[in-house]
Amino acid sequence: MNTIIQAFGLVFAPDVLIAIFASAIYGLVVGSLPGLSATMATALLVPVTFYLSPIAAVATIITASAMAIFSGDIPGCLLRIPGTPASAAYTDEAYAMTRKGQAETALGICLWFSALGGIAGTLSLMILAPVLAEFALSFSTYENFWLAMLGLMCATLVARSSPIKAIASMLLGLLITCIGIDNPGGVARFTFGTTDLLGGIEPIPALVGVFALAEVMRALTEREPPKLEHRRLGSILKGQIELTKQYPKQQVRGNIVGIIIGVLPGAGADMAAWVSYAMSKRFSKTPEKFGTGHPEGLIEAGASNNASLASGWVPALLFGIPGDTITAIAIGVLYMKGLNPGPTLFSEQASSMYALYIIFILGNIIMIPLGIVMIRLASRVVGAPRSAVMPVIMIFCAVGAFATAGNNLFAVWCVALFGLFGFVMEKNGYPVAALVLGIVMGTMVEQSFVTSLIKSDGSVLPFFSRPVSSVLAAMTFAALLWPVFSWTMQKLRGQRVAAA
Amino acid sequence: MTPLADRISGSAIAMLGAAAFFYGSKLPPVPGQQVGPSAFPMVVGTGLLVCGALIVLGIGRHFEEVAEADVVSHSAPEEFAPLPAWRSWLALLPPALLMFYALASEPLGFLPTAAIMVLVASTAFGAKPKLSVPLALIAPFVINLIFLKLLRVPLPDGLLPFPW
Repeated sequence: MNTIIQAFGLVFAPDVLIAIFASAIYGLVVGSLPGLSATMATALLVPVTFYLSPIAAVATIITASAMAIFSGDIPGCLLRIPGTPASAAYTDEAYAMTRKGQAETALGICLWFSALGGIAGTLSLMILAPVLAEFALSFSTYENFWLAMLGLMCATLVARSSPIKAIASMLLGLLITCIGIDNPGGVARFTFGTTDLLGGIEPIPALVGVFALAEVMRALTEREPPKLEHRRLGSILKGQIELTKQYPKQQVRGNIVGIIIGVLPGAGADMAAWVSYAMSKRFSKTPEKFGTGHPEGLIEAGASNNASLASGWVPALLFGIPGDTITAIAIGVLYMKGLNPGPTLFSEQASSMYALYIIFILGNIIMIPLGIVMIRLASRVVGAPRSAVMPVIMIFCAVGAFATAGNNLFAVWCVALFGLFGFVMEKNGYPVAALVLGIVMGTMVEQSFVTSLIKSDGSVLPFFSRPVSSVLAAMTFAALLWPVFSWTMQKLRGQRVAAA
Repeated sequence: MTPLADRISGSAIAMLGAAAFFYGSKLPPVPGQQVGPSAFPMVVGTGLLVCGALIVLGIGRHFEEVAEADVVSHSAPEEFAPLPAWRSWLALLPPALLMFYALASEPLGFLPTAAIMVLVASTAFGAKPKLSVPLALIAPFVINLIFLKLLRVPLPDGLLPFPW
């Protein structure tokens, strides 16, 4: 009980409340601008979190990401352009509703079910994390190694691209972490004689490069989105309670799918929305209505992407394995703030963990009023000219990376090179999220791998003979072989259809 | 046949993997231990070599086509209307400007460097001087204010130090 009171004290400190409020507005604005993703919003926040207290720092990331995922729905509804990739799955549906003159209902669904989904995700975090923490205390380096591998494999599995390219991206990330002297032998690896590379590549400049700078680059090659006309909207929340009662199954299913996808390392809100939308259509009694402005899929997918945000923190807090690209950034901030991820976090820093839960709930509650204000102002914000926004973001990329790396200009070079690298990768179908996961987790993977091998005197047997690690190993190989299996099944089915 | 881009990127990855393996194998071992700093780069290098080869052979291409078709069917058609080819070269501008920042911010100072960057970038995005000039004057100033006063990060002064 004491810890809970302590946690409330932590959250309701003035600096934390200001941080929550400011980052909520920031998240809403960035999320609603087409081409600026929630991950980018989070990446650009990192330098700011440097100068905040630990709880305020985590609060800014939680609030900004939740708001950005919701407000990405706004231009999707009104312009048919998703504000963040997480809204792409149901942009069509929402826009069809707008064309039918139901813009306020569509926006209302996005807002209401986003908030409910966020709260459901938080509940899952509150229940799952402590249970898993108990279990995780018994893990040794072998289990940690497989867990990290499983996480990396999941990331490649859900990448919506060629699994081989995803694995290649992930391995490139791992190779990048080999640079520097932070390795088992303490020798300089891949530094090519430069002192700047001795310390290795920091994840934050790399993240800012691939997620923020590459977005600016892509925007330069794409058309400016059309202007948003000012439109009078009726009551946003009207009819949402009825919809909640009418489609309880869709909402719960969306929440559960979102939570599961969030917990899976590497798969985040965008994946959750795609899967939930497809599921909703598949199990619907009226699948023919999908795509014509039908609320069912919108409810399920909207509930799903926000639910995945909170549950993405489960593996991040327990094992330092990011549940999605946003938590990949959050892990860096957690380490920076002395909240090192691990099962002991829940016993030693219990009040901080409770504070985190409270922030999640609070963020999802204030999403409703702030979201309504944002929707009302959308025509002004979404119409902000790209030629004014993008240059400023570019400067933030430079200065932010410079500040996080301890005022070192080498970080700016890193941002530039990773931006270029991320842009080229994306253009050729290599998922950058997998690269980032590799960069974030590389050191941990290598450490657990080499320490395990040293313990076993070079034998690989203990990797498979310990009970928990054998299960994790089996799951990792299953994830590796799954694309082969699904491809074969498709081929077989295709042959049967052709033969019939 | 695998698209040309895949054959190029696949071979580049395979070569990188081979280089990582070779370079890794040359690293000095830790005395008295079988496993040292060379193990991980060699494993990763092997993986990259295999992946690169598979990409060149076009294995896994099918999954990409499915995902691409999905995205196209969910977006507005006008988003895919082709733009003139020179536009794709414009993408090189932001990293070039960042490199300019890395080189020029110490001698020139943050304010002039950032002003030049904003001016160039916003013009590239199609802004008229009516927008880009005031933006280039105001934005760096505000960013400097945020970093200096709120976050207490001193940015390079150079020729034109921040007025207070």
